[in-house]
Amino acid sequence: MSVKVSSRRSFILMGAGALVGLLMAGYSLFTARGTSTLIVPPEDVALVNQQPISRSDYLLQLQTLYAVDLAHATAAQRRKVLDDMIREELFVQRGKELDVASIDPDVRAAMVNSVELEIAADAITAQPNEAQLRAYYAAHQARYASEGIMTLRDYVFRAGDANAAAAAAEVLKSGPPTQALLAQWHASDSGKVSGEEFYFAAKIHLGEPLFEAARKLPDGAVSAPIARPDGIHVLFMFKNKEPVAFDFPAARDQVLTDYRNDAIGHLRTGDEAFLRKRANVLIADDVR
Amino acid sequence: MRIAFLLTASACIMAAVLMYSSRLESRLLRMDPNAIPGSFALAAFAHERGERLFEARCAACHGLQGQGDSGRGIPALNDSDWLYGTGSPSDIEQIIKYGIRSYHPKAWNLAIMPAYATAEPSARDSKIPPLSPGNIRDLVEFLMYQQGRPADDAAAARGGELFTGAGGCYDCHAADAKGDSAIGAPNLTDRVTLYGDGSRESLSMSISYGRHGVCPAWVKRISPAGIRELAVMVYSLSHSQ
Repeated sequence: MSVKVSSRRSFILMGAGALVGLLMAGYSLFTARGTSTLIVPPEDVALVNQQPISRSDYLLQLQTLYAVDLAHATAAQRRKVLDDMIREELFVQRGKELDVASIDPDVRAAMVNSVELEIAADAITAQPNEAQLRAYYAAHQARYASEGIMTLRDYVFRAGDANAAAAAAEVLKSGPPTQALLAQWHASDSGKVSGEEFYFAAKIHLGEPLFEAARKLPDGAVSAPIARPDGIHVLFMFKNKEPVAFDFPAARDQVLTDYRNDAIGHLRTGDEAFLRKRANVLIADDVR
Repeated sequence: MRIAFLLTASACIMAAVLMYSSRLESRLLRMDPNAIPGSFALAAFAHERGERLFEARCAACHGLQGQGDSGRGIPALNDSDWLYGTGSPSDIEQIIKYGIRSYHPKAWNLAIMPAYATAEPSARDSKIPPLSPGNIRDLVEFLMYQQGRPADDAAAARGGELFTGAGGCYDCHAADAKGDSAIGAPNLTDRVTLYGDGSRESLSMSISYGRHGVCPAWVKRISPAGIRELAVMVYSLSHSQ
């Protein structure tokens, strides 16, 4: 059995292949990213030493500066915006050549900040799924609760009146005192708390020891006398609404934020560890 | 000979399709984004490709139809209510590109709803004071009143004073409570709510514990053409009727 070889067909196929290859190579050569090109890519308005100036940034700048879109901008407005952006790019490039980061603390701080932001931006692109969020919520459930609310009065007795304070505490169990009764006891309302307050506010106003005593009181309860430098305090709790744990749907927004913040923290730590590992850091003997 | 012809023809057709697609993509990128919806061929081209990207990148949060999820504070993209900007393709493109509170330096991140039921409502602005439970109830009544819903008049009046005074709400939401889309502060006089069902409880939760939704910056993760295609597609979601 003989095989008939068509040299004509071979030449045509080879020619077609070479033509397609040349077309693709030529197209890629002048449009591919990262190569020196004479053509401004369609997404950019200019290339400054091969550094692109984004078209959408240019449009935004036009909008910000003149409140016009491309169609309504005058030639002078377009030119001005483009000139400003080219100037900025040229100066940034010159700044890199001069290594301004090594001498200008503002540039250094901006670069550190910028790298940190970049890491954070990477972290939040990964959207956790519901199972991951629920697992995170379950692991940190104590964080997700409403702020407690208390309505109480803080009565102050003179420092030496321990007996009067103890007696008053007994009387208060039947209800809040009248002004006359307070006067009779030589006591007064401290005025530290007024009306309903969130726990955090009550803590600031009362101070830690009084707040800790107050938060344990149920509605209508009276504290034991508490000696403080400014006198003996007796607390009367009208209403104490303790923090209520949020269920997952109510806490989800905060859970997502915390999850992302943790992810950002981990990424930053990891990136720093990587940078330290690949860096050649020499430390002088006297400061080790 | 026939095989050679078929191969060459297929290669030519593929090259032509690629060139045509590339040409459309270039036109899409060079065109003013706000003019694209007026060009049927470009809008259709962008929409078709944008749909695939939307499904891959955005639908996990915004839903396949862009319907959002008020339970999770994810905005609907298929209505005409825009929290950031005006809803034009160029505004949408900027959001997709740089995100919202995405940590990108060019992201929209000016407005963060403080958590007024905490000791430090705003990490950024220490001058924003915490509010009392009564203050928050008054503000909720003020918002109910502003939306034309039944409210306690006296509490609403007190809430109004807080809104335009010590509470500092006017600073973002404007004195008339109609918001400011330049910073993403929502209009509080309409009944469009991003979080929850607009009930007293959900309003109280927003004021008490703050809100700060996030949209990632896609600038280095989706090509410029892809971002524009997505912007056109999202724009079309809100203009489908």
